Amino acid sequence: MKKIFIADDEPHVLRVLKLSLEKEGYAVETCANGKEALNRLEQEHPDILITDIQMPLMTGEELCKHINAHMPERKFLIFVLTSRTEIEHREWSRDIENLKFLEKPVSIRNLLDKIEGYFAQATDSSKVS
Amino acid sequence: MIIATLLVMVATVYILFDYQRGNREDLARAQGLELVRLLGGMSWPELVPQTGTKGLLAVLQQGQSNPDFAYGAVVDIGGAVATEVTRSGVIVPPGDIVNEPTSWLGQRVLPANDADSRVEFIESYAPVFDAGVHKGFVRLGYLRPGFGISYSEMPFLASVMLPIFLLVPFFYFMLRREIKPLKEISERFENLAEQGGLTQIEMPPSQALNDFMEQVSGYIDATQTKLEVLNQEHEDLTMSSKLLTYKNNRVDAILQNFPDAILVIDEAGEVSYANTKIERLLGVEVNTIIGKKTREWCDDPQIIPLLTFGDVKSNLQANQDTVQTRLDDNSEKSLQFSVYPLFMPNNESKILGRLVVIRDVSESHLMRQRQTEFISHISHELKTPLNVLSMYSESLLTEGSDNEEYRIEAVNVIHDEVERLSTLINNLLAINQYELGGVVAQRKHVRMHEFLEDAFTNISKGKQECCEFELDIPREMSMVYIDKDLFRIAVNNLLTNAIKYSKPGGKISMSASETEDSIEIAVSDEGYGIAENDQKQIFNKFFRSTDDNIRQQTGHGLGLSLARQIVQMHHGDLTCSSELGKGSRFVIRLEKISTQIMDAVAS
Repeated sequence: MKKIFIADDEPHVLRVLKLSLEKEGYAVETCANGKEALNRLEQEHPDILITDIQMPLMTGEELCKHINAHMPERKFLIFVLTSRTEIEHREWSRDIENLKFLEKPVSIRNLLDKIEGYFAQATDSSKVS
Repeated sequence: MIIATLLVMVATVYILFDYQRGNREDLARAQGLELVRLLGGMSWPELVPQTGTKGLLAVLQQGQSNPDFAYGAVVDIGGAVATEVTRSGVIVPPGDIVNEPTSWLGQRVLPANDADSRVEFIESYAPVFDAGVHKGFVRLGYLRPGFGISYSEMPFLASVMLPIFLLVPFFYFMLRREIKPLKEISERFENLAEQGGLTQIEMPPSQALNDFMEQVSGYIDATQTKLEVLNQEHEDLTMSSKLLTYKNNRVDAILQNFPDAILVIDEAGEVSYANTKIERLLGVEVNTIIGKKTREWCDDPQIIPLLTFGDVKSNLQANQDTVQTRLDDNSEKSLQFSVYPLFMPNNESKILGRLVVIRDVSESHLMRQRQTEFISHISHELKTPLNVLSMYSESLLTEGSDNEEYRIEAVNVIHDEVERLSTLINNLLAINQYELGGVVAQRKHVRMHEFLEDAFTNISKGKQECCEFELDIPREMSMVYIDKDLFRIAVNNLLTNAIKYSKPGGKISMSASETEDSIEIAVSDEGYGIAENDQKQIFNKFFRSTDDNIRQQTGHGLGLSLARQIVQMHHGDLTCSSELGKGSRFVIRLEKISTQIMDAVAS
């Protein structure tokens, strides 16, 4: 079972996403800030990380930079939920591979499709290799 | 003048007498010596007569023409007088003559016998022989002439004095006449020295002096003319220099009062002008940078390239750059450097240097920065509830149909989020309107107790698990005359801040009190508190503390700014007291008088 880890300080978002993703058959773990996410990522080994940007204690941006710097073996995909559309607000992520932005308001359907597509592609490429 | 005349007369008389005296003495000496030689050639018996007869000496005395003749005497070798003749009243003075052949003939000056008398004699003496045997000496004395005016000399003196007496005034007047033009010239010179006008000199009838005088006078006239020209030139120069100074001062005053710092850097890259604003912006003193290259006075690696131009020909375009710099006092400034090439006024291709205008854009930079942050926060604040709304509504479409419990939950969340969105939008609109001056307080009579209780309950609802709430408002309070909706925003913002920055389980309390002339509403928390530096700024629009604990909370730096503006609209005051780590207390103070006056005005 694919594991998805969600970090967001908005409990309602966590609740809806968890419900929707679990219904699709994914294992879902949640946390409310970047710091907690960072601490738990080592043990959780998720396949996908979904994170908000503005969170207390550690922002999504800091979290991603930290992961990029300290987890070179990372395989999982990162989805960043953002309120900003301007390109300069995504500048910081230029050097981080395997990272996608999702603009708020997020469509659950769209998110599910993207996750499904990612896993399908991952399975394909692993089959090929 | 009289003294001078007298002096001349005395001097003349003295010279005459001295001359006369000298003549008489010389005569006495020559005559005496001649006679004594003559007498010495005679024998003793010829000179010393028999008793009762007068000898040669008597003949000598009788034949003597010299009025100064005093005595004649023949003495033996022992000095005893053998015979003598004397002028009346004169005694032959004693005077031994050394009996040596070498000193037999001679002349000497002898004082008179009488010690009181100042009379002196000039005595000539010679040896006397009797048949080849030295028998004695012959002595002839003359009075030595002294100073004394005898009556006999008076006519002579008078004849000498009279012309002198007459001539002196004559010369004096002549001299005066000759000197007169000189005196006038001297006066003219004095006038010249005093810068007064010169008067024409009246010329005395032609004299040698006249030519000289005319030349001097001409010279003075020429000098005077030249002086006038010089004076005029000097005045013109003073005027033009004053004008120039005035113009310079005016230009300098304009440049000095220019709100921005101005630097002129010449072709050689050296500062040729700077106004004093540079001191505040770059922290250097004007007189320490004039004539120096940028590298010699500036050590900011960001600024040096902006003020260094390398080849004069290159980069003739005006350009602009903004840098962040840290001053000595550790304050950060945003400086905008605008560089304009300075061309020769009549030759556009020749460049004289560069004009650099440095503007302090810290304020606007900070404002822009805050605004960017603000928009960032706002978009987050707007999109977060929107995101929740979107997700719940979408999930309702797919899930909700068969799950009644979830449907109710979703609808509640949607309702809350809509409320949250609308509060935020109201805040934004209010602050925007207030800034445009469009907000007019719609005042109504409001019961304080009910108003505050209502606001408090609304905010604390559903937050019970995170904080402890305490409300202390007296039941009986005066009615206040306020805009309820606006005031609610202010109170809500204080309460939401208290909750937001509270520590878990911390107490949040609202209290109200009333005195004779004011009403105070206080909101306190036991949260993180506000650093002293931040306390001054928390009411500034878009201000967000850099404190980590505060930054974890979302916020847009609007709440307190808006709250204070609203309270001030009601002629009240919003103040803050806080201690880091212990909590904050915000107090709204409303003057009852002002609300009553407003009441009266309104009615």
